[in-house]
Amino acid sequence: MRSNKVGWWLLAPTLAILGIFGILPFIYVLYLAFHQWNPFGANPEQVFNGANNFRRLVFDKEFLLAIWVTLKFGVFAVASEIVIGYFLAQLFMREFPGKGFFRTIHTLPLIVAPIVVGSIWRLMTTPSVGIIPFYANELFGIDINIGRDAGTAFLFTVIMDIWHWTPLVTLTLLAALLSLPKDPFEQAQIDGASRSQIFWHITLPMIRPAILATVFIRLMDALRTVDEVWMLTGGGPGAATRYLGLHIWKVVFPKTDYGYGAAISVIVLYLTLVMCWMLYVGLVAPRNKGN
Amino acid sequence: MANPAHTPARAPTVDLDAADEEAQAAARRKRTGFLPIQTNWFDRLFISIYIAVALELFWMRFLEPNGIPLWICHIVVIALGVIIVRRG
Repeated sequence: MRSNKVGWWLLAPTLAILGIFGILPFIYVLYLAFHQWNPFGANPEQVFNGANNFRRLVFDKEFLLAIWVTLKFGVFAVASEIVIGYFLAQLFMREFPGKGFFRTIHTLPLIVAPIVVGSIWRLMTTPSVGIIPFYANELFGIDINIGRDAGTAFLFTVIMDIWHWTPLVTLTLLAALLSLPKDPFEQAQIDGASRSQIFWHITLPMIRPAILATVFIRLMDALRTVDEVWMLTGGGPGAATRYLGLHIWKVVFPKTDYGYGAAISVIVLYLTLVMCWMLYVGLVAPRNKGN
Repeated sequence: MANPAHTPARAPTVDLDAADEEAQAAARRKRTGFLPIQTNWFDRLFISIYIAVALELFWMRFLEPNGIPLWICHIVVIALGVIIVRRG
């Protein structure tokens, strides 16, 4: 029988940090979710109110709208990033002139802070100032105004997210593609498999864990996005781009309704976990043979 | 052929049989129930909590306003949790 004591001692610092900075704040948020607490309100005390915060949020139209637009944003952004990222990773698998330069340029958005990304896109899309509305009007006669048109504002938040985060997907998928063994591909080519057959039956199953990990990371990020969207649209026009993170911010800071904000945060965590769990079950979980 | 008397002192080795038994025991802990995937007890507890939260929110939104109290939902989710953890 092996002794695990040394292993536990080596893990102890990490577990302590995780406990202090991860688990304890979560327990505190969970505690607050069952309390009414507005420190700047008439009663600044924390008052236990059972499930009333959750009872309130299932009828909160703004919150339900925020869930809907966030899910739409997450699905459109992450799906586009995976598809574009895969094609770019395939491109980087080949040799072409200026490959190193293009790879560096392509990775640059990744190192820009989200708040700066939001500012850049704000400058580019502001009517009468930005380059995008100007050329859209000059070349195609299209009037782009993200402050007025809800659909356009949503579209530009998705495009901004794709621009910012596709390099991460590309790098992850490129690493997965480079680590694949060559034998199955050579074998398939000898057997006369077409490119689409090779993709669906060899490449995709072999890089599925990498795709899944990337989708998890991106989906979790997309569901909690705040700063970029705050800079670009401020959640508007109306509440068209008020994603969950932004909605929580508006509830917690301007309204100082900490208990209700904590309840929304817990539900957002729940939604994120459910979506990741469903993806895991759908793509990689071992199946029951009898079913 | 090397003389066994001159064999150098061997470093402590990993007991492969014990490691194998441990791996097999870990695999055995995953089991098949009525859920469509293989799960261990923690997976089943997790699934129970997911379903419990969804059911409680659904109850608060649609059934409680019609006069069906929330404590019935608590009993339902506890019963469902026990079934999933034991049979799932």
